[in-house]
Amino acid sequence: MSDIVVVEHLVKRYGPRPAVRDVSFSIAQGEVVGLLGPNGSGKSTIMRMLTGYLPPSEGMIRVGDLDVHTDSLAVRQRIGYVPEDTPLYEGMRVHEFLRFMGHIRGMSGRRLATAVTAACEQLQLQRVFKMPIGKLSRGYRQRVAIAQALLDAHDILILDEPTNGLDAYQVIGIRELLRSFAGQRTVILASHILSEIEKIADRVMILANGRLLTTDARADGSAPRIRLRIVGPSDAVLADLRAVKGVAAATAEPQHGRDQPGTYFVEFVPGVRAIGELARVIVARGYPLLELMEEKPDLEQAFLNVTSRAAAA
Amino acid sequence: MRAFLALLLKEEKAIFTSPIAYVVIAAFLVTMGYTFTLTLFVTHTPTLVHLFFQIYVLFLLTVPIITMRLVAEERHLRTLELLLTTPVSEVTVILAKYLASLSLVGTMLLFSGIYAVTLGILGQPDWGPIYSGYIGLALLGSALVAIGLFTSSLVSNQIVAALLSLSLFLLLWIIDQLGNFLPDPFNALVVNMSLLVHFRPFATGSLFISDAGFFISVALLGLFLSVRALAHR
Repeated sequence: MSDIVVVEHLVKRYGPRPAVRDVSFSIAQGEVVGLLGPNGSGKSTIMRMLTGYLPPSEGMIRVGDLDVHTDSLAVRQRIGYVPEDTPLYEGMRVHEFLRFMGHIRGMSGRRLATAVTAACEQLQLQRVFKMPIGKLSRGYRQRVAIAQALLDAHDILILDEPTNGLDAYQVIGIRELLRSFAGQRTVILASHILSEIEKIADRVMILANGRLLTTDARADGSAPRIRLRIVGPSDAVLADLRAVKGVAAATAEPQHGRDQPGTYFVEFVPGVRAIGELARVIVARGYPLLELMEEKPDLEQAFLNVTSRAAAA
Repeated sequence: MRAFLALLLKEEKAIFTSPIAYVVIAAFLVTMGYTFTLTLFVTHTPTLVHLFFQIYVLFLLTVPIITMRLVAEERHLRTLELLLTTPVSEVTVILAKYLASLSLVGTMLLFSGIYAVTLGILGQPDWGPIYSGYIGLALLGSALVAIGLFTSSLVSNQIVAALLSLSLFLLLWIIDQLGNFLPDPFNALVVNMSLLVHFRPFATGSLFISDAGFFISVALLGLFLSVRALAHR
């Protein structure tokens, strides 16, 4: 798929202090991308620059064919944004606020009414529809903020800490909602909660101290590995596994008996995924193959690897 | 246009549902009623000149209260981020806020028309100075609101915004006094920056394009600086 967001050498300085340092990445259409990093790592600043709210000190951001800085209004038309800490007009009622946000996005009449109803249903806001926003709980406020971003059929949704203040059920609801956009809308969300990002995003980018440490934490943090359960003598099986072309390393868990199935882990050299060849060799050697599974890299481990590498550098 | 109307409506609601608007209007009318009655009974002259100078002072004191929340509140509550990430330009936001505040100033002027009507019923006033006085007040109000909007767009604290604009208004009121101490050509330049110097002819029945041009220029400069302040993030 083509890239809908392209960021090149982005820098943002507040006075002499750089908040974002030479960040470059691209996001494909329909991708759900997470921006993970500790508080103060520059996530919100990048989000604000993506929406055109903050101008970059250096670098360039393109949305489709448009430059975010010079074609700001056209870019904003394509983006639905949920800022951090849900700034809302406290004095407005929920329905007034949603209608107002629709109007300033150029919506009106039946189209606006349908969009408001749909957003309220998606975020379960019917019960507070006529309540003043100032009287809502944090969870409801967060949902109102997300509802306004969903009003128009934006290509891109940018959400800064979207599950802050939500209870477990609401978090699951928002997670499912955002996952349902995969392939249709491009979703960029920032969070400092690793488990949250892991469940929502197809790809996770990690930021620390304004630097982008990786554009795909799962790919960079640790290589995918294959877990196998094979019946056979451990030393011989390991030797055969290591002999397969493309295998970088093979290890085994301690085996309890010669005829008991043993657990093996295989890692390929970068860029190689010879899973078929691996299975063929095992079967050709006459070992009963009980299980073959590709293990997804652990994001927590990847996060620790990437951030510790950066700290060491 | 739809976005502009939505913003204008939001601002009008914010202004006219706030108790501040009604307190300002009430204080304005009570003070003017007192001056009008006193002047009429003491001088027995069907003129509004005293009233116009009184409104001039009241505008300097009340416009900072009207304009202080316009942008400062949005900055403080961070709703500005929400607003300026939608497809509305800074110019649209500023114009909507400006016109909404101007409508409150216009309402105050409209209410003050009661005294002109009363004068018309009780006596035979010279309507020329009354018309010119109102034109002057409208122009003065336009300039003051633009300056107030500019100071509100500089800070996130409403009180600071109000004090900034009040200080500017007072400085522009008395600046002609300072001009007397300066050499040529600075004295003329400074005297011509005075609000009172340009307002006095309107209140006394003289219309000069230069005076109107001064207030219009100040209003446009205030609006331009407000847009720049909003765009600077």
